[in-house]
Amino acid sequence: MSQRPSVIWRTIATPVILAVLLLAMAALTYQFGSRAFNRTVVEMFINIMVVAGLYVFVGNSGLLSFGHISFMCLGAYMTAWLTIPPVMKSITLKGLPVWLLHTKLPMWVATPISGLFAALFALIVGRVIMRLSGIAASIATFGLLGVVNNVYSNWDSVTGGQGSIVGTPATMNVWNGWLGAAIAIAIAYLYAISRSGLALRATRDEAVAASASGIDIVRERLIAFVVSAFIIGLAGAFYAHFLSIVNPGSFYLRTTFITLSMLVVGGMYSLSGAVAGVVVISTLIELFRNLEKGVSLGGLTVALPNGVQEIAIGIITIVILMYLPTGLTRNQEFSWRGWPLQRRLAPPVQAALKESN
Amino acid sequence: MRFVRVLGVLAAASALLATPALAADEIVVGFATAASGFMQAYDKPAQDAAMIRIDEINKAGGLLGKKIKAVFADTKTDQAEGAKAGLAVLDQGADLVIVSCDYDFGAPAALQAQSAGKVSFFLCAESIKAGIPGVGPASFSASVLAAVQGATMAEWAYTKKNARSFYRLLDSWTVYNKGICDGFDWMMPHLKDAALAGSDTFKNDDASVASQITRIKGLPKEPDAIMLCTMMPGAVSAIKQIRAAGIKSMILNGSGVDGSYWLSAVPDLSNFYVPVQGSVYGDDPNPKVTEFNKKYKEVTGGDPSSQYVYPGYVLIDVWAKAVERAKTTDTEPVVAELEKMNGEATLFGPRTFSKELHHQNQGRYLIVDTEQGKPKVVDQWTISEKIPVDYLVSK
Repeated sequence: MSQRPSVIWRTIATPVILAVLLLAMAALTYQFGSRAFNRTVVEMFINIMVVAGLYVFVGNSGLLSFGHISFMCLGAYMTAWLTIPPVMKSITLKGLPVWLLHTKLPMWVATPISGLFAALFALIVGRVIMRLSGIAASIATFGLLGVVNNVYSNWDSVTGGQGSIVGTPATMNVWNGWLGAAIAIAIAYLYAISRSGLALRATRDEAVAASASGIDIVRERLIAFVVSAFIIGLAGAFYAHFLSIVNPGSFYLRTTFITLSMLVVGGMYSLSGAVAGVVVISTLIELFRNLEKGVSLGGLTVALPNGVQEIAIGIITIVILMYLPTGLTRNQEFSWRGWPLQRRLAPPVQAALKESN
Repeated sequence: MRFVRVLGVLAAASALLATPALAADEIVVGFATAASGFMQAYDKPAQDAAMIRIDEINKAGGLLGKKIKAVFADTKTDQAEGAKAGLAVLDQGADLVIVSCDYDFGAPAALQAQSAGKVSFFLCAESIKAGIPGVGPASFSASVLAAVQGATMAEWAYTKKNARSFYRLLDSWTVYNKGICDGFDWMMPHLKDAALAGSDTFKNDDASVASQITRIKGLPKEPDAIMLCTMMPGAVSAIKQIRAAGIKSMILNGSGVDGSYWLSAVPDLSNFYVPVQGSVYGDDPNPKVTEFNKKYKEVTGGDPSSQYVYPGYVLIDVWAKAVERAKTTDTEPVVAELEKMNGEATLFGPRTFSKELHHQNQGRYLIVDTEQGKPKVVDQWTISEKIPVDYLVSK
């Protein structure tokens, strides 16, 4: 066919499609949504950042990580330290170093710093954890989550302990949220099509062969770990601005498992899957929450009992995975052409074919 | 693209469902509280008490001639949902936003109310942050600071029970627990000849506090009183172990262990003291409290389980008084009227608010003594001096 899209377009189609779809959602929400609904959508964008970050590591390496939410914690606290007015910090966070105590940075400076801080931490711990293989690495990341959570819950003079620290400026709206999601998607995609991303996927699909071809598994995993930590650190910073209060409880098991299930439901080996998973699960959660509040049907209000939402999400997740074990997108990326056709091919073959091209 | 289409339909459906309804000639009070999740156990009773007061006011002709209408949004014991719940009740025209009992869970909704320029009230939060320092100048709490509980118990035990040696046992699980011990720490230097025999910490979910008990047993002399800064559910196990080890010292507590529901777990518990704002045991010195308990039972079908029911009633009471005096529900005049309250009498002790503090740093507490497993009000106590705001904020 003569109108075959250009190489550049084929290369960047996926992130562009994703970003445009999300932008449309942001615009519709801004135009028609209530304030509470706007917040729901911002929360969804932040979750997209987290899950895109998770995809960078989990999707490309094939290792499940339970520890990535600790990077969100690091990012959120770093942002809080950098953006809370010094007057408030000097009362509640006396243990901070003096230079940090007197710093007050705007959001757009503090956020990348928070991401870098998380990435630096990931570089240090990753050098150890990435040497482990398979399930051992997964459990080690779980240990990391526990360590970070305990340190942040108990280092009272620096983190405020179990209590919340308040004062991060509430600067979040759908546009900022969308920008964050778009940046996360761009970084995740660029990593996935990079040399390192390709090498890491090779180790995921065939570790021995990849190793024999000269790929340093530990090194490639470490790169993915650091990149994903950076993205999730950014997400943590956004979250701190979204909620204006930060406490360690927000970054623990609940967030870990909901984001992982978003990734798996969407399709954990594709970025489109990561994004679709967040959108679908968030939509379902919101739908059921509204049903719990009650819907009027011709003067009659029908409401589901409280708590049904959690049960329903669990059941829907199981059903989706029963019929689509590789997730909603069957591990495919959204692209402009040939999408429905590609889906009929068996995914691993498809993926292998694509990568060998 | 079938799946994208489905998504679009779902998104549109949920957007339609979220359309707000606006009220006309009513005063709207919004509850952004937990109707599910673990905070529900704390929020629901206090909210029921608030609704009783709202009913009373409506039956007596309303507020400024208007009926009070309550609207609700569930925080699901989740912080992000809390902020949304705050916005949801604000969108329904709430003039007062009532938020969860706990500071951490109530703050997101209170912050939304603050940025919308509305008054917010924590149902029963006992941290100094629940108010000006942690939310802003239009935020209040209906309860009394946790620190006052610790200070009250220390001063009362020193004066009335002649306690001279104290042992401080802190459960570092929550800010509330630390608050009790902060108040105790502040009071100690004010008590002449009183000495701290020792200090220790544990965690609420510790299965055993054996090592802490060993250190108490190792003291040359059993302390007169143990200041136990803890809360449910871990409190029961700690108390049981202390008594099982043969330590007979009086145990001083915060209000968090009030209620008789758990006493069967520690049979014949004695020498055990709890400060409460009102008695759920039917022996409150104020007969109106007993009347309230009866009314509460009629409405909810059960007795109040602990004193944490009462702040909900106090909240509506003081806010309605301020609205009546300001002759408007506008934030600025109402806050000004609230800040004028100095020892304002309520069913459950006086309330004072000032420009510096929207919480109680002094307050009348009833002292409940449990003997042979039977709790009974034996005394009441107000600390001799207000706990300084600076001290509380710095903690």
